[in-house]
Amino acid sequence: MTVAFDRNPETDGLAPDRVPAILRHRRGHMWLSLAVILAIGLVTGLGSAYLAVDNAPAFDTLELGVWQARPLQGTTEADPYSAATHARTGRVPLASGEGLIFLARSDSAGATLSPACDYLLEGQAAPARLWTLTALDAGLRLSDTGAERSGLHSRQVLRRPDGSFAVHVAARARAGNWLPSARDADGLVLALRLYDTPLTTGTGVANVPMPEITRGDCR
Amino acid sequence: MSAPGSMMKRLRGIERLDVARGFALVLAGLFLGGIIHVAVVMSVPHFVPVTAYARAAAFGPDGVFNRLPDSRPGAEPLPMLDPMMLHAACRFDLDDGPLKIAAALPPPFWSFALFNARGEAIYSLNDRTSGNDGMLDVLVITTEQLSVLREDPPPGLEDLIVIETAETLGYALLRSFDGDPMRRDIKEAALAEASCRTLDQE
Repeated sequence: MTVAFDRNPETDGLAPDRVPAILRHRRGHMWLSLAVILAIGLVTGLGSAYLAVDNAPAFDTLELGVWQARPLQGTTEADPYSAATHARTGRVPLASGEGLIFLARSDSAGATLSPACDYLLEGQAAPARLWTLTALDAGLRLSDTGAERSGLHSRQVLRRPDGSFAVHVAARARAGNWLPSARDADGLVLALRLYDTPLTTGTGVANVPMPEITRGDCR
Repeated sequence: MSAPGSMMKRLRGIERLDVARGFALVLAGLFLGGIIHVAVVMSVPHFVPVTAYARAAAFGPDGVFNRLPDSRPGAEPLPMLDPMMLHAACRFDLDDGPLKIAAALPPPFWSFALFNARGEAIYSLNDRTSGNDGMLDVLVITTEQLSVLREDPPPGLEDLIVIETAETLGYALLRSFDGDPMRRDIKEAALAEASCRTLDQE
């Protein structure tokens, strides 16, 4: 009675549909796939997190020439990368009601500051009631200069009649304004701390003067 | 004649499928990597054992201002302190009661900052913004303690700067500019006089 058609509309629906290849069950591949996903995830995730925390991306950086400040660093409003870096290093930030730390890692020509070179800082500092200038190493620790004092502040700096100043950054003592640096230090970063400055409120950032840094003799 | 051709077609189909599968795996891996990245970065501040708050414990007992040693190369009491400032730190726990901080530091410059246990600044001011003739007079208090205190306000409460915070653990830091070696004794004496004590609660 039954006629064997190739496709029977009555029974066709009873047979399972042909499973597309991509959905077909493949034995033994699931664990391998999971392992691959996990490996890629761990390597990229942990690697990128380490790099990001080790060298925080510069969100909300205030740049004035070669000088960079991060007003939000060390506050509760800091971005997560900055917060992670900050927590890991245990640094004590300068809070907004106190002042702002500007760091210079390169000279005005764009070359990275080197402890083997002498530098000349020239110009004016941004408005502040008080500023201090110190030489740090690449890890932002104080450089061991062997000199009696570890920095220079705005009340001891000698100025020209127009209010500008020139500071020699050198390992050997210089006439005039001298900031001792350490020739054998691991890197050189100049830190200019502005105390009680209107810059912390973010007002008047345009046309604010900051000293230019020019390279002198190197050894 | 047609058998090898269809065979090739099928083989090519499988290859293309495997490539797609590989892409899917890599994509899944990258997504997982993104999740791990965010989780790690967000959790770092909570897993740091040596915060500035923890380090500040080394300089003396909690609840009083302890003078930090001078910052010298290779011997900085806390990282990134200005070597041209004199520092005093006081660790506090607001669970013991509201904290009253008072200091009369000499000019030309001093500043005060309050940090939580993770080392983040929650409040700061300097001698000009203290609004009290260069004197520091603040009350650090939690919201609950403040509502209790308001019911029976102690005399002089309106002259204090009241800092309401949800953080119970933290430290206060005083910085006094040390530009003039001749006047260092005066500053040392003023820092030694600075008080950081729990307000008596009856």
